[in-house]
Amino acid sequence: MNLITALTSPVGRKVLTGATGIGLVAFVIAHMIGNLSYLPGPEAYNGYAHKLLSLGWIFYTIEILLALCFLLHAIIGISIQIRRWQARPVGYKMYKSAGKPSRSGYSARSMIFTGIILLGFLILHLISFKYGPGVAEGYTATLDNGESVRDLHRLMTEKFKEPLYAFGYPIIMILLGMHMRHGVWSALQSLGMMSRRLSPYLYALAAILGVFVAVGFLFVPLYIYFLV
Amino acid sequence: MGSPVAERSQSPRLDSKVPSGRLQEKWDIYKNSVSLVSPANKRSHHILVVGSGLAGASAAATLAGLGYNVTCFCIQDSPRRAHSIAAQGGINAAKNYPNDGDTIWRLFYDTIKGGDYRSREANVYRLAQVSNNIIDQAVAQGVPFAREYGGMLSNRSFGGAQVSRTFYARGQTGQQLLLGAYQALSHQVSMGRVKMLPRREMIDLVVANDRACGLIARNLITGELERYAGDAVLLCTGGYGNAYYLSTNAKNSNVTAAWRCYKRGAFFANPCYTQIHPTCIPVSGDYQSKLTLMSESLRNDGRVWVPKDPKDSRAPEMIPEDARDYYLERRYPSFGNLVPRDVASRAAKKECDEGRGVGETRLAVYLDFADSIRRLGEHTIRERYGNLFEMYERITGDNPYKTPMRIYPAVHYTMGGLWVDYELQSTVPGLFVLGEANFSDHGANRLGASALMQGLADGYFVIPYTLGAYLAGTRQSDQVTETHEHFATVEEEAGARIDSMLKNKGDKSPTQFHRELGRLLWDHVGMARNRTDLMSTIDAIENLKEEFWERILVPGSADRYNKNLEFAGRVADFIELGSLMARDALRREESCGGHFREEYQTPEGEAARDDEAFADVAAWEHTEQDPALHLEQLSFENVHLTKRSYK
Amino acid sequence: MIINLRVWRQEGPESPGKLVDYTVPEASEHMSFLELLDVLNEQLLADGEEPVEFDSDCREGICGSCGLMVAGIAHGPQKRTAVCQLHMRSFKDGDTITVEPFRARAFPVIRDLVVDRSAFDRIITAHGYVSVTTGSAPDANAIPIPKDTADEAMDYATCIGCGACVAACPNGSASLFTAAKIAHLGLLPQGEVESPQRVTAMVNQMDAEGFGDCSNYAECEAVCPKGISVAGIASMRRAYMKGLLSG
Repeated sequence: MNLITALTSPVGRKVLTGATGIGLVAFVIAHMIGNLSYLPGPEAYNGYAHKLLSLGWIFYTIEILLALCFLLHAIIGISIQIRRWQARPVGYKMYKSAGKPSRSGYSARSMIFTGIILLGFLILHLISFKYGPGVAEGYTATLDNGESVRDLHRLMTEKFKEPLYAFGYPIIMILLGMHMRHGVWSALQSLGMMSRRLSPYLYALAAILGVFVAVGFLFVPLYIYFLV
Repeated sequence: MGSPVAERSQSPRLDSKVPSGRLQEKWDIYKNSVSLVSPANKRSHHILVVGSGLAGASAAATLAGLGYNVTCFCIQDSPRRAHSIAAQGGINAAKNYPNDGDTIWRLFYDTIKGGDYRSREANVYRLAQVSNNIIDQAVAQGVPFAREYGGMLSNRSFGGAQVSRTFYARGQTGQQLLLGAYQALSHQVSMGRVKMLPRREMIDLVVANDRACGLIARNLITGELERYAGDAVLLCTGGYGNAYYLSTNAKNSNVTAAWRCYKRGAFFANPCYTQIHPTCIPVSGDYQSKLTLMSESLRNDGRVWVPKDPKDSRAPEMIPEDARDYYLERRYPSFGNLVPRDVASRAAKKECDEGRGVGETRLAVYLDFADSIRRLGEHTIRERYGNLFEMYERITGDNPYKTPMRIYPAVHYTMGGLWVDYELQSTVPGLFVLGEANFSDHGANRLGASALMQGLADGYFVIPYTLGAYLAGTRQSDQVTETHEHFATVEEEAGARIDSMLKNKGDKSPTQFHRELGRLLWDHVGMARNRTDLMSTIDAIENLKEEFWERILVPGSADRYNKNLEFAGRVADFIELGSLMARDALRREESCGGHFREEYQTPEGEAARDDEAFADVAAWEHTEQDPALHLEQLSFENVHLTKRSYK
Repeated sequence: MIINLRVWRQEGPESPGKLVDYTVPEASEHMSFLELLDVLNEQLLADGEEPVEFDSDCREGICGSCGLMVAGIAHGPQKRTAVCQLHMRSFKDGDTITVEPFRARAFPVIRDLVVDRSAFDRIITAHGYVSVTTGSAPDANAIPIPKDTADEAMDYATCIGCGACVAACPNGSASLFTAAKIAHLGLLPQGEVESPQRVTAMVNQMDAEGFGDCSNYAECEAVCPKGISVAGIASMRRAYMKGLLSG
């Protein structure tokens, strides 16, 4: 079959959403662990950031791949929502979930909202940090080996001292946890990695992962606001 | 009493066309000598298949596969919903996989004997012969029959047989076989060889040049009357059990297509042969719209009993062994709970009539699994009957793992139907009748797991040969189109009938009439019949018919979806059929199979057959006055007629 | 018991519909939900009103003809039960129950609660079969099939095609219906042969009918009268990718 047709078919769309989602989950986990390197001090954090940049083409390839993942994931996610409206033009006057074994809890039903908020957040986040003040604006730090690098540690400390960031960010991270709670299970199901026996375990794994990531991300901003 | 001798002779109008030769070779002889239709000619023939159950779907798929142009009609919204889907227990075949001594001969013999020697030997033998091909075909289609751990097909035993020859797919064998046939049909639809027309009801047959040449169908969505011309019409429209109003048939199961054909010249054979199934969930109230069958396979592991003392009102689990009467095991020690359906049903009726019935209505007996659960474990029972137990609990609120089921007989299947010859052709040339709609293979009583076998045998393996024989004998010049004047006439008549029901604006709904008819038939043309009641019932039905046309109320209009209009037309036909059922039951002055005349029983209360006078098929012809009787004498050259005994 | 009903009434596919209130004063807990509607219809008929149209046939949960949204849930509140086998003992005296048709663009309303589900037949026609003609079958025991495999195939084969999965799906997806057939046939050696063609054709047809995408809500499994598992949808996707990779 034609690859493009295949990938835009209902199954193809889900497979792509799942695959890009898994890529994004991997990124999010890496990002979260990276964030935790704030805790030992500026040397660790700035060093980690610098090391990433110095990976050169590998870094840029990953960046492009991630950007593609985000883009595809968002476009397909929105197209699924549009098809959903088309598929049921007259809605129910009364509708309820039938309960177990339905997986359509809050996380599942809010995917499009949490997704759109996360997309918005991502843009703001890139403006604040990736494209935020750098060496040119005086955010410079010197590493132990004498290298002069961008002082992301200071930027982060300043940002999370602002209440809006300190409390806004965690809320977004809870939404991210929710998105992953359904997303991880859904991706595994979309990629066909599910059987009747595995299903309950993978569903639980998705929940654990969601909580893990949300908590991991919550930690640093609250630490900065209250303890630094 | 007694019928005039003249009536007892073979009617010249009923040529069974059974080939000569030894019983075992008849079908081969037929196939060897039958005319074939060349592939190029097949394309030029258009076949109309009415109904999409096991018989209809298998016939349509097979004929299309052979190259015929097929149009298939069904009243449901999809061919997959035909009532064959509800058959639970299984399908018989003489595979002898269990190596327990089964043969084609034994399957033939059991079926003839089970039918109380009122079926045609040659037809039944052919049925047993092709039974094995059906299983092969179904497995090739992906029907997930139950299997053993070694990967081989599993078998179970069923009422009326001493071998395990029943193939099954949980308690949903009919569903799986129908879906197999439906998928085969869909395959042909995708190839463009079958045109499938759902939500169409055949409301009349068109006969021209003394041949069936088409039909009028009502489009159940738009209400339009549509004309379809074809070289042959295959009627696969099921049985008429819904004449009783309450039966295990689906709400839409009806006799209309067959009855219209009867009125156009097809003879109706043995209408009094109706099967009352022994294991159904009892009636709970007046609002009851249908009865639910619990598969007969339950009798393999369930024991039927009633309390010995009619006044014993203890909960069934509390009644000790010595206070229970396992009446089937007591009366029929060698077959026990596995006696044929008619025997089991009458025995239950007897217990209840004598006051030992259980439950609120006292019209039920217990079917108890406690022993089997002890012997085999709950797991095994769950595996065998899990879905049936769940269904029982959903309907009654009782858990059959803990407390015995309550069961009572209900109308389930009709052995009678349009008369057909060996080629499945009715008395109207070009009109073939398959499956439950014909009368052919089950005699006066059908054995469990044989309906699925017959429907599929007719559709997959019989009609492809016999239809060719008919078509090879027709000429191009016999073909008519929808513009033929007969189509206009018949359409007009059908339309007028619909209009008169709608214009009547009476005060009684179709359901009310149906319920009244059902009560009359159940009480007097049900499990036990007698001359006096039958005579009065014929009069009562005549009155009901008059009342129908005076008081029928049908809401809405004819140009749209209108369930009440559909039902009204069907009830009108059921009323006429009911009268013929009673007439046929009155004529048959003997007891055989599903037909039990109280006047004709042995001192022990068993059915007393009269082979001298009634080893025949009664085929009724529609006339302007009373229906005319024609007889086909049954000759038994291979089996010895014995008194059926399951003791 | 007294039961109040709010029933969707709609003249035809293009007409606007609305919920209309009715009361059935003499309901019984032993009635099925469809018998309650029968009683309502006899009542309406006696009052000179038009009865409520709804599809039903076998009334024993196997033909798949019936299908209603009862109190916001496809086939009503009882698990693994088609609406014809839903009994009134699931409700309380005085309850008000909303009854709507199954809604989806691919299931247009014909009248009142009757919808057109022929899209399902077209999905099966796309390739929901084994391409075998009559007479060509080898002996039924020629290919042994492990019991577990046959049992699993049967679990998927029990689909009754009622459309509850579509009706309950927030996206209006037909994935469970389509996947059940693909899984059933794909598990068996007889059907596995043409699995790649089957999955492509059926998925494309599902798309063409205008069903929504699957978001893995598993709401379908929760309302399925036969409890068919969404693991079937996962296996449909595996089969699809396998087909894609093998060209």
